Amino acid sequence: MRAVIKDGVGVFHPQGFLDGNSSLSMLSIEDIEATVKSNADMILVSLKKVIFFNRNGLDAFVKMFQKVRAQKHIVVGFCDYNAKKYEAINQFYKNDASFSLFITQEVATLFAPSFKNQQKNVLLYSEDKSQRTAIAIELHDNGHNPIIAQSYKEFEQKLKNEAAYDVVIKDTFLGQMGQKVATRVTGNAIIYTVSSFLDADIGNTFNINYHNNSLNVGFRLFIFDAYKVVSMNIHALNFFSKLASSSAEYNATICFVGMSFDKTPISFKETLEDSGIMFFEQMDDILQDKELLEELGASSAASIKNKRTLNKVMVTELPNFIDATVSTIEMMTNAKAKKESAKVDAINIDNKNGKIASSIGFYGDMDGMVILVFPQEIAKQACALLIGEETEDRELILDTLAELVNIVGGKVKTLLGDHHVSVDITLPRTYDNIDSLMEIAQGKKGVQVDLTFNNDKFLFFLTR
Amino acid sequence: MITQEKIEYYIEKIPPLPKTLRATLQLLNEGELTKAAKVAKLDAALSSYLKELVNKPIYGFKNEVEDVSQIFGILGVSKSQQVVYSYMISLLSPDSWSFFQLNRNSFYALQAELSVGWQKILSHLSIEDKEIVSAITLLPASIIVSEALFCEKKEDVTLLRSVSEIDLNTILFRLCEKDLFDICESIAKKWDMNETIIALVQASSGIKPSTDKQTDSLGKWMHLLLFYTLSKPLYIEAGLNDFIEFNISYVEDIYEEFASVMEVS
Repeated sequence: MRAVIKDGVGVFHPQGFLDGNSSLSMLSIEDIEATVKSNADMILVSLKKVIFFNRNGLDAFVKMFQKVRAQKHIVVGFCDYNAKKYEAINQFYKNDASFSLFITQEVATLFAPSFKNQQKNVLLYSEDKSQRTAIAIELHDNGHNPIIAQSYKEFEQKLKNEAAYDVVIKDTFLGQMGQKVATRVTGNAIIYTVSSFLDADIGNTFNINYHNNSLNVGFRLFIFDAYKVVSMNIHALNFFSKLASSSAEYNATICFVGMSFDKTPISFKETLEDSGIMFFEQMDDILQDKELLEELGASSAASIKNKRTLNKVMVTELPNFIDATVSTIEMMTNAKAKKESAKVDAINIDNKNGKIASSIGFYGDMDGMVILVFPQEIAKQACALLIGEETEDRELILDTLAELVNIVGGKVKTLLGDHHVSVDITLPRTYDNIDSLMEIAQGKKGVQVDLTFNNDKFLFFLTR
Repeated sequence: MITQEKIEYYIEKIPPLPKTLRATLQLLNEGELTKAAKVAKLDAALSSYLKELVNKPIYGFKNEVEDVSQIFGILGVSKSQQVVYSYMISLLSPDSWSFFQLNRNSFYALQAELSVGWQKILSHLSIEDKEIVSAITLLPASIIVSEALFCEKKEDVTLLRSVSEIDLNTILFRLCEKDLFDICESIAKKWDMNETIIALVQASSGIKPSTDKQTDSLGKWMHLLLFYTLSKPLYIEAGLNDFIEFNISYVEDIYEEFASVMEVS
């Protein structure tokens, strides 16, 4: 079974009846590991379409959860259940659960470090006092505004004014939370979330390949969200100093936000500052300051360390990249593609109006980036397949575009795998207009293929 | 990925019902079991299918049943019609499956499990109408249609489903405004299957409730039976568990009764 991954949350959706036998057939440890590898920092099994489960059925999942949690430090659990199912799970595990329970996927997303849409007003109630506190702390740490009801009566009273809250949480239980270095993209900055004690383990939990490739695809600002860091030791200090020096070669900036030096020697801060790392108290000090963002490189990524050119391997694999892209868009829109022209040069977009773009990087045996420039109509048609209707909602169209590019990336990965070329893909980036794309792509040489889908012009660009 | 033309082409190439089958069904309809068996024997493939199906352990016969007359005799008119319809549907199944991990044996086993489960439900509901008994046989046609339409698109479907929780039926409908059950209906019409069967199978999709109370109620039982059966390891591993969406809210009101009939624990 394959998980759907959104906002860093990977969710499996079994259907029907779960017992010891069926659960093991539905989900394997390999399925979960593949999801973790795709940058999910939470793994959940949705019980929305499960009408019956017994203890053995859940145990099969729980055993896999425990194994993955121990290895990968991620949040694991169940979501999408009703009160009856919640009661049944509690009876099976009697508050001894190491996994988490989220009443809906929306609630789970609030706790995911990769979730970009923060500052939600959340009304919460749990019978268990320590759970109430734990939930409130996690919500607060993730940038939300929790409002705690101390009793069910108070909860019901507060609920009368339901419109005041973005999300209401009940029947939710937090097991062990994750400690993996989670990654999210805000605009053109990449935010890594680190927590508790930073020691030599950071070398294992931080995905250095992902970071290097983000540098390659043009990201220039990296922010470590360090509000939850208690202290840092000398091994972590060395790690971050090295990271800063290597990033400096790309003219990139690394910042720490919310780091307290109560339990970390203040001399560490000086060492880190010497290696080029900047410190800020609040995330908004950076993200809301447009001038500073520009200065730090988050709105312009033109200065590339080395102008890299296409190599033979990429040119050999080019037809695979184009096939993957064309067949994905054909699949999503039911339109036939026609190749117009292909050339090796800097990217050239004739008519910039009414177009949006997306890019996805890949790294491994070969590395590079695919840029796709879409007429809005094609993006809208793809939306229709994924969400069931055409929409004018810009954000939704861009989200769908990101998903479409994710599919292209997944397909490229599979096709290259068939040729024994192993690559991983980054998170997709979307560009609301062509000017913002050009900030990153200007001057890059690559292969440009112009295609038409039902008379809509579409551009494919492969570069390094 | 899949176009309206592709669907039309698929329906068009479905062959007409063989004469022997048509005659067998006609005689069964008239209650002429012996004559029906005589005609059925003329079709070697039908005879061999009937023997293979009813000798599956789920049918629970102590001794092997060899002769078609004997099979029809034991089953009676309704169930005989049901197995002949099952054979008709099996004619559509591919020589080798690639989208779903099925083979001839496991597909026949699925047909048998659904048929026996349906018998249990109908006897609990005290329903003996032979068209209703046979209605279950059309349900696996939706699986055959999925296989035929999606067999070359396995990768695409997998990738699409990695970004959106979307079942084959929904994909098909959004692309062509026709779903798997509409295609089953076209097949059933081509083969002159009874309207009751068609209405019931449409309701069992879980997304098209019937305005007729009895049909709707039976549609719920059939939808639940389908997912009860598709929750068995053999069919989960075949990739069948989520080929259409299980609509829990549609079946919630009959679940307790279903669980007791099927002895779910």
